Amino acid sequence: MPQIFVTTAKGETHVLDAESGITAMMAIRNAGLEGMLALCGGVCSCATCHVHVDPSSAAMLGEMSEDENDLLDGSIRRNGQSRLACQILLTGKLEGLRLTIADED
Amino acid sequence: MQDLADRDYFTDHSILLDPYAYFEALRAKGPIYRLPGRDIFVVTGFEESLEVLNNNADFSSSVSTGGAAAPLPFTPEGDDLTGQIEAHREQFLGGELLVARDDRPHSNSRALLSRLFTPSRLKANEEYMTSLAGKLVSDAVAKGRCDLIKDIAVPFATLVIADLLGVPPNDRDHFMEVIAAGVPPGSLDEEERSDQNQPLVVMAGFFVNYLMERKQAPRDDVLTELASASFPDGTTPDIAELVRLSTFLFGAGQDTTAKLLGNAMRFIIEQPGLQDQLRSDTSLLPAFIEEVLRLEGSTKMTSRLVRKSTKVGGMDIPVGTKVMVALAAANRDPRRYENPRDFVIGRPKIKEHLAFGRGAHVCIGAPLARVEIRIVLEKFLQKTSNIDLDETVHGPRGARKLAYEPSFIIRGLEELQLKLTPRQ
Repeated sequence: MPQIFVTTAKGETHVLDAESGITAMMAIRNAGLEGMLALCGGVCSCATCHVHVDPSSAAMLGEMSEDENDLLDGSIRRNGQSRLACQILLTGKLEGLRLTIADED
Repeated sequence: MQDLADRDYFTDHSILLDPYAYFEALRAKGPIYRLPGRDIFVVTGFEESLEVLNNNADFSSSVSTGGAAAPLPFTPEGDDLTGQIEAHREQFLGGELLVARDDRPHSNSRALLSRLFTPSRLKANEEYMTSLAGKLVSDAVAKGRCDLIKDIAVPFATLVIADLLGVPPNDRDHFMEVIAAGVPPGSLDEEERSDQNQPLVVMAGFFVNYLMERKQAPRDDVLTELASASFPDGTTPDIAELVRLSTFLFGAGQDTTAKLLGNAMRFIIEQPGLQDQLRSDTSLLPAFIEEVLRLEGSTKMTSRLVRKSTKVGGMDIPVGTKVMVALAAANRDPRRYENPRDFVIGRPKIKEHLAFGRGAHVCIGAPLARVEIRIVLEKFLQKTSNIDLDETVHGPRGARKLAYEPSFIIRGLEELQLKLTPRQ
């Protein structure tokens, strides 16, 4: 059960007791947090679950796929910490993960 | 004369021609409205629809195949129906299909299919789609006519999914026959409804063989990926689930896409100036398709079962009742869209419409549907100088005769006879 820290675009930080085996996008959506449209429902087909990963958490995550990279390229909010939350699978190893939900495009 | 709002949406054929008038009659009663004397709430408001679609904790999708009017296979007890729903899942019509799953079984199975719809996967299939569309449209233009639904839309949508799944070319014709013989989902006629999954049963036989073969002898194809995949939580799917998922893609992505194409083509023909505008600038097609989805998406509604008492838009929604989310109505909510009945290409944030739903169950095939429609329409516009309706079948402009499929889920034409003038 990884505990993760999610800051909304408005700057409020929420602590989520997330389940293992679901994506960060689903955990954020289940918690009802604002600003995660997730229009494609988490199948790596849009960029509306865009998050910025705190540098302290970067090492927890694997490489992004070409699809994820191409989709993020389409977002004006992209920076060096950008990831798609639907591509972050939560496991015990992601305990303490820190994310910020990106502003809408 | 019966008040429109008092008609029974789930069985009344007369609403079919203009379900939008029915939805407006309901909207006048409020964005959420309990049908008199029934255990069904109809949601026509955009924000209220989002509330329901984004809330899986209180709303179960178990009733989505059978619809909100179908009797439950159990008597609701207590304040959380989850246990009862899962105990009776097989008794819900299509209760084991992905669209009707809840919670972890849903997210696990959806994750397996999601790999089929990524941009790179769709790109890999685009060559096939383009060449198939080119052939189907060329044949039609050579004849100067076609039934868009039967001759183009249905074969195209079916073969595209077959190709996506890696169905061997030799078996594809058989799939086409089986599906052509089936009835649409959400039939208004109860007898038909119980048969609606028959094609899926036949296809299941094929998929059992394909998947078993690949478990024995893996190949470099999609079916092998499915046969060897694990769920995100590390557990593995059984063959029955893999078969259901494969056949479900046909159930979900074939009729809906085919009918959407028909709806889009009708706009192209009927909307003054639109055909020439699109012909001269096909880069407008994606925005055009989004406005078609908003105004006449092929899925009118989806259903939910209230598994825990909750509130929507401030209204109490008791456990055990059903909710019909009228997606087609939400897409015309005047609180969300200015001049909602007007056809306007380029509305801001148009992709936030609800034609594909929203939330955990949002249509997984949406990216594929968008590409399919765009490719076929491109071919039609490139290869013709004019597309019109056959007046001997559909009547003259301004007095058209169109027959809509008798389904409470699908908005689609049964046939669309086109007259095609080749481009010189």
